[in-house]
Amino acid sequence: MSLLNEIKAPPKAADPASPELRRLWMMMLIRRFEERTYQEYTRPGQRIGGFCHLYSGEEAVAVGIAAVFQKGKDKLINGYRDHGHSLALGMDPKAAMAELFGRATGCSKGKGGSMHFFHSEVGNMGGHGIVGGQIPLGVGLAFAAWYKATGGVCFNLLGDGAVNQGTHNESLNIASLMKLPCIFIVENNGMAMGTQVARHSAEKDLAQRGCGYAMPTRNVDGNDVDAVIAAVGEAADRARAGNGPGYLVANTYRFRGHSMSDPLKYRTKEETERARQRDPILLYEKRLRARGILDDQALENMQNEINAIVNEAVQFAEHSPHPQLDELYKDVYSGKCF
Amino acid sequence: MVEEMVRDENVFLMGEEVGEYNGAYKVSEGMLARFGPRRVIDTPISEAGFVGLGIGAAMSGLRPIIELMSWSFSFVAFDQIINNAANIRYMSGGQLAVPIVIRGGNGIAHQLGATHSHRVDALYSRVPGLVVVAPSTPHDAKGLLKSSIRCDDPVVFLESEMMLADKGEVPAGEYLVPIGKADIKRPGDDVTLICWSKMVKLCQTAAMQLAETEGISAEVIDLRTLRPLDEAAPAGSIRKTHRCVIVDEDWPYCGMGAGVMARLYEKVWDELDAPIARVCSEDVPVPYNHFLEQAMQPSVEKVVKAVKEVCYLT
Repeated sequence: MSLLNEIKAPPKAADPASPELRRLWMMMLIRRFEERTYQEYTRPGQRIGGFCHLYSGEEAVAVGIAAVFQKGKDKLINGYRDHGHSLALGMDPKAAMAELFGRATGCSKGKGGSMHFFHSEVGNMGGHGIVGGQIPLGVGLAFAAWYKATGGVCFNLLGDGAVNQGTHNESLNIASLMKLPCIFIVENNGMAMGTQVARHSAEKDLAQRGCGYAMPTRNVDGNDVDAVIAAVGEAADRARAGNGPGYLVANTYRFRGHSMSDPLKYRTKEETERARQRDPILLYEKRLRARGILDDQALENMQNEINAIVNEAVQFAEHSPHPQLDELYKDVYSGKCF
Repeated sequence: MVEEMVRDENVFLMGEEVGEYNGAYKVSEGMLARFGPRRVIDTPISEAGFVGLGIGAAMSGLRPIIELMSWSFSFVAFDQIINNAANIRYMSGGQLAVPIVIRGGNGIAHQLGATHSHRVDALYSRVPGLVVVAPSTPHDAKGLLKSSIRCDDPVVFLESEMMLADKGEVPAGEYLVPIGKADIKRPGDDVTLICWSKMVKLCQTAAMQLAETEGISAEVIDLRTLRPLDEAAPAGSIRKTHRCVIVDEDWPYCGMGAGVMARLYEKVWDELDAPIARVCSEDVPVPYNHFLEQAMQPSVEKVVKAVKEVCYLT
């Protein structure tokens, strides 16, 4: 079916000649996608519903992990702030936007929504809606890689709020006890919804929260895509070699509110201004310019192409059908057991 | 379990004390020696952790058997079962399956007190996406467990510490008992007794007593699977007997028996000569004291009394 092929096809890249430009391009795509999602969510006649958590400001983490991710071998699992990783692992923006619109052509057929993006054929095992609920699943994905000796690893993502859930303790202990190829990556955007790290974690240095499990743990600058690639790559190499899990805290910043309903009253202008200075896209742009890889023309071309892709995604979503009502009872069971 | 692990390399057993200890209740005795520590895996006491691990492994195509020492401990893994095992197929738009079996002792054993005596039948049977199986005999336990391990959906498999020593005929060789099919454990004409798991034996005893002392012929229907519920078998029986007693170890309010009764009323209201009666556990926490604990649960006497009531013999 053509529609299905269309949504499974990878996005047309602006032919970024180098991996560096490809990464910048992807960070820019994620940012544009999220900002457009913000606009669509807040427009009159709202077509995106439910809880919607945007990834603007954290793009370097997803893109850094994707650079290390080996498709066909590795798995990634995530909490509910899952748009960025899904795009970075190759989800078509059309399928992503259609899911936000709740359409049949969405990545989860309109049954998952913003918090439950799935793209299993590339190893993206989903966004998960309960804080910390996905961490044991990620250990299971790593277990399966170990059991089948695939050489793959699982990138087990969680937010800083999730370190306070019981599953965090249980998962770290089991993964290390069994020496599973599991990379725990805490995306520390500084806030568990509206509660700053200093108010939710007795230990302010979140890398310390990975201590006591006999695995390496460290902080990494989550706004620096190169630093993320280096740290994640090191942990992945170690896990692939059979040396067990690792724990990384990628320190970053969430430009938007926790979800769409968050007016961000708990932040000062100065704080936001400081964070904008460390926008991961700007930092990387500067670096690539300094290296002579990027110029104004290339940047403008990329921006134009990305705008077109995101526009096309919105058009695709709005013209896609809602799921048929008979979808209600589909995918509850396999239909093969009784 | 052993036969299925021999048959399918993707099946493994994981849980507390399943390996070196040979099983808290010796269910997995000898399995570590036979299959080794890769496939018979001891875990720390971390139910949310290892149940979730099993679900994640199932998402990757393995077929985990996760043993819970008691279903009473499943509450600390509740989110994993309800939100992850049950929902992932649906909310991924059918991309992922969760072929897991979670099994262990359910219900009131003997003097374990309120925390270790929970009946989780209704808690899991109300959740779309889960299959809930509750066998009553060694024959059914083996055949249903094999079907459950081969099932592509998550199965909550309810056993009972009190039935582990039960003896019964188990055919040699391969056989399966289908999921979703009730079984007539004793045919009868005057009243239908609906039960499952541990309550089946109790109902059979009551039926024998009713036949001997009251001349009442009771048909004992063993539901065997609680979700999906086989409505045809009990409804068919009620169309014959026109009277029904549901015997349930669960609490009376919003319990499993209440759910079954609602379904049956929708089907057979016009067939009934008396309201459906229920024999449940008393609406209190499970006490430690032996006599209080006995008084709390359904008994042969309570079943006989309820049958006489629906037959208007009291």
